[in-house]
Formats: sequence, C-alpha cells, structure tokens
Amino acid sequence: MAVKRHVAAVGPHKGTAPTAASRGRGVGAAIRRWPLAVPYLLGSLLLVIVPLALAAALAFTDYFGFRPPEFTGADNLVRLAGDRAFWDAVGVSAVIAVIVVPLRLFLAVGAALLLARPRGARTAVGRAAAYLPSAIPDAAWALLWLWILNPLYGPLPAVLGALGVADPGFLTTPWGARAGLVLVMALQVGEAFIVALAARAAIPNRLYEAIELEGGSAWFAMTRVTLPLMAPIVLVLAVRDIVVVVQNAFVPAMLVTDGGPANATLTAPLLIYRRAFEYGELGYASTLSVTLLVLTGVAAALPLWLAARLAARQRTRA
Amino acid sequence: MIALSVVFLAPLIVMVLGSVQRPLQPPPDGLDLWPDPAQWSNYLAVSRFIPLARLLLNSLLLVVVAVPVTVVVTSMAGLAIVTARGGLRRGLIGVSVFMLLVPAAALWVPRVVLLRGVGLADTPLTVALLALAGTTPFYVLLFALAYSRIPVSLLEAATLEGLSPYAVWRRIALPLGRPAAVAVAALSTLYYWSTFMDPLTLVSSPGNWPVALGLRSLSEMEAALYPIYLAGAVIVTAPALLAFAIGQRSFFSAVERS
Repeated sequence: MAVKRHVAAVGPHKGTAPTAASRGRGVGAAIRRWPLAVPYLLGSLLLVIVPLALAAALAFTDYFGFRPPEFTGADNLVRLAGDRAFWDAVGVSAVIAVIVVPLRLFLAVGAALLLARPRGARTAVGRAAAYLPSAIPDAAWALLWLWILNPLYGPLPAVLGALGVADPGFLTTPWGARAGLVLVMALQVGEAFIVALAARAAIPNRLYEAIELEGGSAWFAMTRVTLPLMAPIVLVLAVRDIVVVVQNAFVPAMLVTDGGPANATLTAPLLIYRRAFEYGELGYASTLSVTLLVLTGVAAALPLWLAARLAARQRTRA
Repeated sequence: MIALSVVFLAPLIVMVLGSVQRPLQPPPDGLDLWPDPAQWSNYLAVSRFIPLARLLLNSLLLVVVAVPVTVVVTSMAGLAIVTARGGLRRGLIGVSVFMLLVPAAALWVPRVVLLRGVGLADTPLTVALLALAGTTPFYVLLFALAYSRIPVSLLEAATLEGLSPYAVWRRIALPLGRPAAVAVAALSTLYYWSTFMDPLTLVSSPGNWPVALGLRSLSEMEAALYPIYLAGAVIVTAPALLAFAIGQRSFFSAVERS
C-alpha cells in the first residue's frame, strides 16, 4: 500500500520522461529503500549545508571568536568592494585556473583515450602511472616540487640550464612562481582521468567496428564519434576542475611559494585562510569565502554557457 | 604511451633519488641526480625535526576510523540513488553534484565555529567526522555507477521476499559491488592519509596532527637540507602508494564494464 501511495506521489513529476515513469511503476517495490540515504543526507546536512548557511550569516557580522558575533549590516560588503588584496588574490586564482584547467583536461582526457583499450600489462602500467601523482599526498608532492624548482639545488633549473633555456626563476620571480604552481598542479589529474576513462569505456565498441568496416580512418572515429560522445563528460570535468584547481592551489601556494614573491601566488583560498586563522577575522573571512563560492559558481557556469552557445550555433548552421 | 608514463612517473623517481643524497652540500654544478654513495641515514634524521612516530600514529588512527564509516555511508547512499526514482533520485544526485562544486574554503570558518561550539574540534579524530558526510560525494556517485549494473529484477525480488532495505544492502548490493567498495576504501584511505587542509583549520594542537600536515614544518627548512625533507616526503608517500597498489585493480574495474 505504501508503494502505491509513493508511486502516485512521484508520478506527476515524470511528465517529461514516460519511459522512466513506466519503469518506475515496474519496480515500485524498490522505492522503500530511500532510508539508506539517511546517514549520508544527515552527515551532509550537518557538515556542508548547515555550515554554508552559517557562513552566509557570519558574512554580515564582526566575529573574532571570543565574543558573540555582532551584526554589522552591509559593512563587510563595503569593505569587500574596496579590498584590493582580495581582488588581486581572485585575479591570481583566475589566471592560474585559466592556464592550468585546459592543461589538466588535455592530460586527463588524452591519457584516458590512449589507455582506453585494455591491451594487457602495458595499459595497466600506464593507467597506474597516470593516477600515481594523485595518490601522492599533496604535502609530500609540494615538498618534492619545492626541491625540483629550487634555483640553487633544483634539478629543473639545472635541466633548463643544460638545454640552454633561460631559468624563469621558479621561486623568485612573479611569473616564474606562477609557472611553478602550474607545474605542481598539472600532473595531479587522477580523478578526471578515471571519469574520462569511464566515459570512453561507455561508448559501444560496435560503433568503431562499423567505422572500420566502412573503411573510416582513425581520425574520423576520433573526431566524429569519440570526441562528440565524450563532450558532455568533458564539460562536466571542466566545471569540476575549475573548483578543484582554485581549491587545490592552496597546498602548493602555502608550502612551495608561500604566496610570494610579492603576493604573486597569493591565491584567494590562501588569503581567506590567513584572514580567518592568522588574523582571526572570522566574520570578514566568511564574507570572503561566500564571495569566493559565488565567484567559483559563476566561473564554473562559464563552460556550460560556452557549450550552450556552441550548440546553438551548430543548430542554426544545420 | 611510454612517454606519457615517464612524464607521470619521473617526479616520483626524482623524489627517491633526492632523498638519499648528502645534505648540506654546496649547490651542484649542473644536473647531478645520482647519489654516490646513497645516504640512507636521512630517513632516520627526519624524526629529529618532526615527531614522526606520533604523527604516523595519528594518521593511522584517522584512517582506521574514517575509512569504514565512509564506505558504509557512501555505499548505502549509492544504493539509495540507484533504487530511487523520479524526483527523489534527481534530488539525491543534485545534492551530491552541488556539494562537489562547493569549494572547501567556503566551509573552513563555519565548520571550525560549529565544531568548537560542540567541543569536537582539536582531537586526532576531528577530521574523521567528515566520513559521516561520505567524505566526498564522488564516492557516492561511484557506488551508484557500480550498483546500476545490478539487475533491477534481483533487487525487486529480494524486496518481495521481504528483505529490509538494510538486508538488501548488506546481503546483495555490497557483495555484488565489491570492486566499488575496495576502490572507495582505497581512495578514502588516500584521502585521510593525505589530508592537509581539514586538520590545518580544524585541529590546532600539533600533537593531534596527521602526518601529512606535520610535513608542513619541513617546508620551512634550509634548501641545503632538501634530502631530509624529501626523505620525510618519501616516508609519507610510501603507505599511500601501498594503498593505491592494493586498490587500483578494483578501482579501474569499477569504472569499466568488464
């Protein structure tokens, strides 16, 4: 009886997907398994949703931790608008993301396409290698690059010197330090690699068999089948990667470059961390972190908007 | 393909080579990576700079508590997503995707305020609380992907037989989705072993830090001492690579139809 009631309750939502609705009625008995999601939802509520709401509330207060938060209206927003240091930090985060996100996607999707077909031990080694940098703890990875990029002892400046390339000053000049951060983050693409691999594995093999039968080239298969079918997943990866990169720049920016030189690698999360935990300005730090959340959301919407534009243009052309 | 593997593997090899060089040497002239002779005593020297045993123990405790909780919470939620329909299913997936997009920096301050308020901040196990939320929604979606390959008729039949949701999860989904469980266990082991930002904000006493955060003080050392901080990096990396080696086969088979 409970089942019937539930199907009736869910039914109206399904106007757009008749097949899903008919399937839903068929397995109506399964619906009662939703209690399994309760621990996850409860944990998420307590550790993500409630904290987000609290951050939004603290954003309009003065709060230093020892006295109760004091409501200050729009004061924090006025301060935010004139906060050069924060907007500079947002700029640094944006510049790094613009360079490193395409690079990471190229590496992750490229590796996934190369290693898609299981060809025995070589593929296994290749897949493990592609994920390996992501398995190394971020702090250990940062220490490694602290040495690799070191102007006196580091192997990378030495290699560049041997090749006759001018040393960009990885830890000493603003753009050199940013290039250093890009290098640190470029190889840790395990999660995106796995998702791209799963997306590639989901493309039915008979499509490729058909192309081969018709005498189509590998290039044709790649540009007309593989890439178009994987485009939605690559889009999702791009959105996710913007969030990941803005966030994960924190550990290398703290351990490798320490925000320097001259704040050239002071990313937005590092600035928020310093405001909150070194200056103790919990209220204003909340204003900054909610602003960062909104900005990241806008940036993450960018690939979606671009894709919609492209799709619309293709439709008008066709 | 080989060139690609080399690109991804080179930093690791360089790390091990660097960790057995002699500390406090003048800067080398050109590239000189091969240590001669290998200075293994660097590994013992690490504990002169950080309380290594204590930190390793903290991390071990964190992993032992947080990983099983993560696997239970995320596999249950994954099954719920697969069996739910319509609005409920869209809602669960929507919440998970939304949480994937929330930058961690947005949660630092409020989490500290909340956990201090209830007296749960600053313990070696504070970070393990994140396991209650499944650590990351990515694991929930991974389980959902794996469970979506279980025939619906099987789950349906079990329910008609009168099995409770818990029993369906425990007796059918979990055994059939074993590669996914191993994969999530390995991934969350890596997560808690490597955790840096969460304890940095939530745990203020250095005695309660996990080992990855303990490495922070090594980053402030003299450049000439690099072999010692690289030795520290290798010590922290080795167990992570072990967990990865154990989990990787299940991991790749979980995302790929065999």
